[in-house]
Amino acid sequence: MSFFRKMSRRTLVQALIAVPALSLFRKRPEADAARTGPSRGDPSPGDPDEIVEINGWILKRSDLA
Amino acid sequence: MIFDGHEAYRAANFKPKVCILGSGPAGTTIARKLGAAGIPVVVLEAGSREYSDESQDFYRGTTAGDFYFDLDITRLRYMGGSSNHWAGWCRVLDKQDFEPKAWAPDTGWPIRRADIEPYLPEVHDILELPDFRPDVPISDDIRWVQLIKSPAVRFGEKFADELDKSRNIAVVLNTYATELAGDGKRVTGAKLWSNGQDAGPFSADYFIVCTGGLENSRLLLWSNQRSNGGVIPNATALGRYWMEHPTFEGGNAILADYGEFEVDAVNEAFFSPTLAAMERLRIMNFGIRLIETPYAGVKHVIADLACTAPDMAEWVAYQLSQNLRCAAQLYVAWEQAPLASNQIKLSKTDVDHAGVPRIELHWKKSELERRTLVEGLKLFGTTLIEKDLGRVRLMDWIANGEDYPTDEETAGHHHMGGTRMGTDITRSVVDANCKVHGMDNLYVGGSSVFCTSGQANPTTTITALACRLGDHLSKVVAV
Repeated sequence: MSFFRKMSRRTLVQALIAVPALSLFRKRPEADAARTGPSRGDPSPGDPDEIVEINGWILKRSDLA
Repeated sequence: MIFDGHEAYRAANFKPKVCILGSGPAGTTIARKLGAAGIPVVVLEAGSREYSDESQDFYRGTTAGDFYFDLDITRLRYMGGSSNHWAGWCRVLDKQDFEPKAWAPDTGWPIRRADIEPYLPEVHDILELPDFRPDVPISDDIRWVQLIKSPAVRFGEKFADELDKSRNIAVVLNTYATELAGDGKRVTGAKLWSNGQDAGPFSADYFIVCTGGLENSRLLLWSNQRSNGGVIPNATALGRYWMEHPTFEGGNAILADYGEFEVDAVNEAFFSPTLAAMERLRIMNFGIRLIETPYAGVKHVIADLACTAPDMAEWVAYQLSQNLRCAAQLYVAWEQAPLASNQIKLSKTDVDHAGVPRIELHWKKSELERRTLVEGLKLFGTTLIEKDLGRVRLMDWIANGEDYPTDEETAGHHHMGGTRMGTDITRSVVDANCKVHGMDNLYVGGSSVFCTSGQANPTTTITALACRLGDHLSKVVAV
């Protein structure tokens, strides 16, 4: 059995995402954060439920952990 | 009865009261309604039973403004018209599509959706559709709507036998009117072209123009020019307010449970805004089509997410390992605001083989369309977050505010407007009954009468309006 066949699918996927994730060390996504969507009151920059748009993703701030 | 040309038709000595130009969904539906009411009707079809390059060449034209399809590619000129290449997606326009919108000038129809709803059972029979389920609100902003893919009825094939056996309907192939003549009150006749040559004058009590969402304007513009305004006495809006459904891949979604919305046979789900969301954001209607992403594409999306939200990406990777299907492509087709500057003009330099000027289509998307695309996707993304259903990623060109790409779907091949319905004669061409303003015996069928485009594919609404016009004409002509 080859090396790849011994690995679980999840391990393969996690390995796949690991390489692009290295860009996190070069660029802090929080620096690009921008509010998006309709008015949501006046959330503080640390509000975990704040909707943010980063690199085209529509996310909750808490997603950025 | 079906004839292969005007000569054979003339020999049969058929005496029609109504002449319908075009045998697409509108023309065929109106003819069947009139035939069933015992009214003799002739349908002039420019093409034959099958596609031919020679016939299609009459549709060549030019476009200006935003990138658009070649005009001899985006429609078909033979029996059944453009139903011969439609994909079959069905949904009648939304109730809100008929209402005026304060933030978008020249919106609002003189009829309401309720005016065509009585015809929907008939439309479902014609298009072979099951019943639609009601829209499902998934938030205050977003509705989960249903588009149904019908068998994509080819009107020429489906109704050929019925038309051939009919004693009240004569279909004349390879024959069409190069121009109508009128005196400002009535159409007084037509000039025919059949099998590649002039076929002389023709008359009937009523004329119904159903030649398609581009050709209706072309025929009427040319006829009006030739008759010094005698065919469309109030021509300010003629050819104007032309609309399409801009259609582009808008992004991706990662879903907690793909099966949440999986109901269609083709594994697609559709989402549209509520009227409240459209009002708040001052946008037009849109339809987001959610399509399962191939496995390789899912990996790409997760890898991209890992750059921004690694924990979220890990969760998604886990989901992927559980069910292999947790991501979707998002295609957006949206409503274009009616603008007088988007218009069909006649070429001053180029004519077809019969001497009729070809079309110059001037079409450009506005800032309102761009805002609808961007805000629509953000609204969908926000809704998925609030309902804990998933996350959305915008395509780079949208997130970065770049130009529309020219290598994508671009639009839906949905040609709407040009002879729009209305009460203001400076902003419309036909009235609520599809009768040309100021003319006693001239009507228009098809999507050229649309005042607004909504987000839904037009064939269902075209067919419903044709049923309604057929019923109306049955009463008018029988008098």
